[in-house]
Amino acid sequence: MRRYVIATTVAAILSLFLSLSQAQQPSSHAKWTRTYVVEWNEPAMYYGAKTGVTDPGTDCPKGTNPSPDWVKVLVDAGYTPEEAKWLRDPANPSRSPVHGQNQMAFRGKDRANVYTNPTSTPDPGLVAVSGTTAEGLNLDGDENTGFTSPTGEKGIDNNFYKALGCWKTYRGPHRLSSGALNFNDAMRNGAWTTVIVVAGEGPDPMNDDHVKVGFYVSNDKMVKDALGNIARDYTFRIAPDAKYEGVLSARTVNGRIISTAPSDIMLRDPSYTRDLELLRARLDLEMKPDGTLTGYVGGYRPWEAVYRGWVDARGTVIEVLTWVQLPAVYYALRRNADYSPSGPGGEKTHISFALRIDALPAFVMMPDGSKEVASVESYKAMAPRESAKPMFPFRVVDGIVPDPKYPAGPHAVILPASSSSANRSQ
Amino acid sequence: MSLRFNRRLFLRGMLQGTAICAGIPILDLFLDRNGVVYADGAKLPVRFGTYFWGLGLTDTPTGGTRWVPSKTGYGYEIMPELEALKAVKDKVSVFSGFRGIGDGRPNLVHWSGHASILSGVAPGQPGRFDAPSFDTRIADAIGNSTRFKVIDIDASVSRLPVSYSTRTGVTFAMPETTPLALYTRLFGPGFQDPNSDNWKPDPTIMLRQSVLSAIKDQRQALMAGAGRSDQIKLDQYFTSVREMETQLATQLEKPEKCESCVVPPAPKETPRSASIDSVRANTKAMAKLLALGLTCNQTRVFNFVHTAGISETYVPGESKIYHQITHDEPTDATLGYQPETSRLAGLVMQAFGDFLVELDAVREGQGTLLDNCLIMAFSDTGYAKIHSIENIPMFLAGKAGGRHKAGQHIHAAGESVTRVSLTAQQLVGAPVGEFGSGSMRTARPIAEIMA
Repeated sequence: MRRYVIATTVAAILSLFLSLSQAQQPSSHAKWTRTYVVEWNEPAMYYGAKTGVTDPGTDCPKGTNPSPDWVKVLVDAGYTPEEAKWLRDPANPSRSPVHGQNQMAFRGKDRANVYTNPTSTPDPGLVAVSGTTAEGLNLDGDENTGFTSPTGEKGIDNNFYKALGCWKTYRGPHRLSSGALNFNDAMRNGAWTTVIVVAGEGPDPMNDDHVKVGFYVSNDKMVKDALGNIARDYTFRIAPDAKYEGVLSARTVNGRIISTAPSDIMLRDPSYTRDLELLRARLDLEMKPDGTLTGYVGGYRPWEAVYRGWVDARGTVIEVLTWVQLPAVYYALRRNADYSPSGPGGEKTHISFALRIDALPAFVMMPDGSKEVASVESYKAMAPRESAKPMFPFRVVDGIVPDPKYPAGPHAVILPASSSSANRSQ
Repeated sequence: MSLRFNRRLFLRGMLQGTAICAGIPILDLFLDRNGVVYADGAKLPVRFGTYFWGLGLTDTPTGGTRWVPSKTGYGYEIMPELEALKAVKDKVSVFSGFRGIGDGRPNLVHWSGHASILSGVAPGQPGRFDAPSFDTRIADAIGNSTRFKVIDIDASVSRLPVSYSTRTGVTFAMPETTPLALYTRLFGPGFQDPNSDNWKPDPTIMLRQSVLSAIKDQRQALMAGAGRSDQIKLDQYFTSVREMETQLATQLEKPEKCESCVVPPAPKETPRSASIDSVRANTKAMAKLLALGLTCNQTRVFNFVHTAGISETYVPGESKIYHQITHDEPTDATLGYQPETSRLAGLVMQAFGDFLVELDAVREGQGTLLDNCLIMAFSDTGYAKIHSIENIPMFLAGKAGGRHKAGQHIHAAGESVTRVSLTAQQLVGAPVGEFGSGSMRTARPIAEIMA
């Protein structure tokens, strides 16, 4: 009898503990789950050339936008040829090998900072994609608008690609554009981890009308195998995040996961912007026989945040490394914006976009690591208060890293004293 | 025949009322018939150095490699970016496929790679290492019997001096940045010509040593009265005092005569320019001075920076610097690599070739100074375009007095860079059994190249 009382008491305590912990965690169970870790993600930019990363192709018949002639750009902005050449001279001490030439920012009207005030200069022009093929998703459900996919699907909405697809940063075959290489290398080396949970209610995961797909952050880093590839089947705990999370409703058809309703989500963007806010997000992913997951998630993202991301990454560096005048990016995004959250008549603050994803099978655990996830839920309520980490170990102000020794600005003295006096005496 | 004198003998006596001891020159009778080891079996001193250059070499994801030989072991082929090493190829081992492993720490661009190689751990923040650089451990092991425990050199003509040698992980060594400064350090005030017939102990050194000795005398009393924490601090302090005493004692001994030690004339001030030809000239001039400094026994350990991780070097007349070109130049679809970046990498490696040739030009015994050196050369990155820390190019040059089976290509895809670092430490006799932390912790040197 005494043994029974003890056992009952222990069972009651355990049951109380279990119910308490379950109250803090999502508890529903799907019939099936598939879990993954994103090993590669990049903006879906269809490459229309056969080889290379800059060659002419059906997407960009003149090839990638060429590197600007920066001396000419500066002269057009009002600098003398001598000043322009000196600003671009590597021997100029005001040109930092790390942060670039700060004075490059000041080429707007009255030498305004073109990064913070891009309309202070006329649109320098960024040649847009002129091809008719694009990767991505039909976001508006209208097959009469947008591109055609490489497989012949009509109505692909991807104006982000249209605006920036001929920019060197984004142009290139899968996994080979300079932007994709840079940001994915950072992710794969531990900068961030995204896991995906797919869960369904039906008996056949390949064909299920009631599927949910969850995108979550994990603080567990990916592991590389001996060849430097991301290893599959490692374990990741979901890290509840107040910002980065996305839950979408879908169905599966022969292993293809297709949205059934749009959602508003926020993912970790492989870019300097970091925040990939997607309104009316949809997805089209495929569960492959080898256990991997590949496809697209897309929606309408705020375009100004994209522009600011590049500016905050140091406009002076981005412009020369990626062959672009940032005001041209501003104008291109604004010109191609195609969505307004307030309705068809509102200001177009968002642009259609798709992210191409490759994911590997992985074990995804509940945040406390106690068990594998068994459903797709929101964990935002469990998230700690958001604390954004700075992007760089230096302070970027208005697109430049100020150098007190060589102050840049509308009134900066450009030429060294000896050169200036020689110039005046001529 | 038993020797009545050996190389450890010092002539002791009084000079100007002061007791002195004078070393005996390296006489032929001390050496074996081949002139490579002392007759008692001890080898000529082995020197160790690091050589760093920024921005890696060319080996791209599209399969274009310009530095990784296809053949492993002895007789590897000279790849285009290694052309400058052709003259000393048999004294240089190439290491490919090795990588930095962050264990979840993000890749701090132009920093994590060489920090991993030198400290054995991927750093948590830029500008710092999480452990001392291993050259300091080698300096502790082999650098105490020369005038300078270590010499740090920066040939990069960068805006700020560049050094990656650190004992604390926070502060880095202050290097000599011009040939003239290096000359002054090695052969300026305080230099004692080993071949001079008029050698006298420097009274200023004697004074400094006597001051230190007086401190030493009080050590026991201080240690006895201190708590545990203070004892540790005092022990660290007195360790440094002892090291300084050793260095000063070395200078109070008449240096061994050395035929190969030729005191060079002072170089002229060079123009401050980070152009690639200026940096190469700087490297060559400083390598020549360093070689003489080594053979004149001024130091046995050095760290040489050719260019910083974020290299500032450029081609005169071009508006783009090398660093910028590594990032912005597209990969040529036909070639499979970035042609201009590769060309510049080849130019950068020319300076490394010059450096080794300078050391190989100094005769020492039956061989050359390079034969008695081990130089570990490495960069901050593999594929510079994306700051990759995979496949960071690494080399071991010099025969380390016969301990290094040089002239091989070792390929070990995915292995930690620390294996090469550990190998270097063991080749020069540092008492190290393992090196690195986390996934980069290793007790496995590369046995194939160790005699």
